[in-house]
Amino acid sequence: MLAADANPMSVEVLPLATAVSVALLTVIVLSVAVWPKIAKGLDERNEKILGEIKAAEDARAQAKAAQEEFERKLIQAQHDADAMIKEARGQAQKAADDLRARSETELAELKKRANAEMDAARRQAVAELEAHAAELAVSVASKVLGRVIDAKDQKVLVEQSIKEFASSGR
Amino acid sequence: MMNTLLLAAGDNPLAHVLDRPSAITVGGTTLPLSVISLVVGSIVCIGLLLLAASRISTGPASEGNARFVTKGRIAQIIEVMVVTLRDQMLVPVMGERLAKRWVPLLLSLFFFILTLNLFGLVPFADLQELLHVVMGDHAAAEADMAHASSNAIYFGGTASACFSVTLGLAAISFVAIWIQSFRDLGVKGTLEHLCGGHDVVHGPLALWIVIPIIFAVELAGMFIKPAALAIRLMANMVAGHTLMAVLFGFGAAVLKAGGPAWAAGSITLVAGFFAILITFLELFVAFLQAFIFMFLTAVFISLMAHEDHGHEEHGHDQGHDGQTHAEPAPAH
Repeated sequence: MLAADANPMSVEVLPLATAVSVALLTVIVLSVAVWPKIAKGLDERNEKILGEIKAAEDARAQAKAAQEEFERKLIQAQHDADAMIKEARGQAQKAADDLRARSETELAELKKRANAEMDAARRQAVAELEAHAAELAVSVASKVLGRVIDAKDQKVLVEQSIKEFASSGR
Repeated sequence: MMNTLLLAAGDNPLAHVLDRPSAITVGGTTLPLSVISLVVGSIVCIGLLLLAASRISTGPASEGNARFVTKGRIAQIIEVMVVTLRDQMLVPVMGERLAKRWVPLLLSLFFFILTLNLFGLVPFADLQELLHVVMGDHAAAEADMAHASSNAIYFGGTASACFSVTLGLAAISFVAIWIQSFRDLGVKGTLEHLCGGHDVVHGPLALWIVIPIIFAVELAGMFIKPAALAIRLMANMVAGHTLMAVLFGFGAAVLKAGGPAWAAGSITLVAGFFAILITFLELFVAFLQAFIFMFLTAVFISLMAHEDHGHEEHGHDQGHDGQTHAEPAPAH
């Protein structure tokens, strides 16, 4: 029968039997060799992706916890640093005050000692001057006792005494 | 020569669509083209899916994370189709339990029918026929075109446009539906289902009046459902290909009617443009019909599950995932 004359709805045994047998064979082969393999591959990939996502979430949670801990420690460190700075400033201020007080005390002592030394030196100088003056007076008196002292002698004696006094280095 | 080509074009577009004898003879029996297409389609389908499976499956550990990546475009396309059909179509309709049992059969049917449909889009048979007419004995060809050309075709045509083939595929669906019914419901449950269900059988006695009617309708439905699958697939394939053949036959019809060659050429150009558009539609129909065959088989199978499971698995109201699923389409 020509195809053009064939009934589209006619049923022939050979194509029908071939369709059933070939389709069943295809189903069996694919069910044994293809679908389990594909399903296994997809499942493994699914597990891998889910595992990676879970690991990423865990890592993110850990990172968040670490960051919070870090921030907490940072704030604590800032507080500690502020307290230490405040304490150090107090200590430094106290040290400076002590140093200034000690310096002022020492300065006062130095001044007092210098004044005392100056007074002693002055007193010693006065005493030495007095002693020298007395010695000079004695000398002058001895010379006076040796002859009459007129105005001219007196002038010479004074000049001599002054020269001696000057030559004595005092 | 022109007469030869006109004869090759044929008077009846169905001549290019319906099943024809091939040039292959086994044991004195000439095999129809549909049989050859079935065998070749099965080999190609299995080969491609084996290739895809080897590329989708996890590779050796030495590849690192790349071992989880599907290699190759064809394998990636097949993977997308498998995942979409399984997770977006079959599991929501059938439920996890039924899907696990029937997905291998349903996916195999889908890809097998799809392969047959796509083969039909490639004019293997027409090219062989044309080559035979052009290269062969014109006089003999014009004398007995149909016989001469049929003996020159080794492979081609659309197997899924042959009713015998689609009936065979539907027979597999029919058996699967009954297996599911007897396996899940048992003989008594199946009979109850055919009589309208537990509520009708164990309901008021007055309902027993309608049970024979329900039984007859349900029993007929068990045969009509697969038959509808077969007719739907065959009719869609035949219709599209017939339309293509009609479009391509316009130019030849003009020449046969004694029209000028320029008119035939112009009409052929316009018809060819529309034929290209129709080809894209045919490509869509090839996928759509394979999907419909598989999906309706899944629906028919899931209707034969336990009623308590059915409510849960068919997702009439609220599924496990909290989403509202559409009720399975009726069986007609």
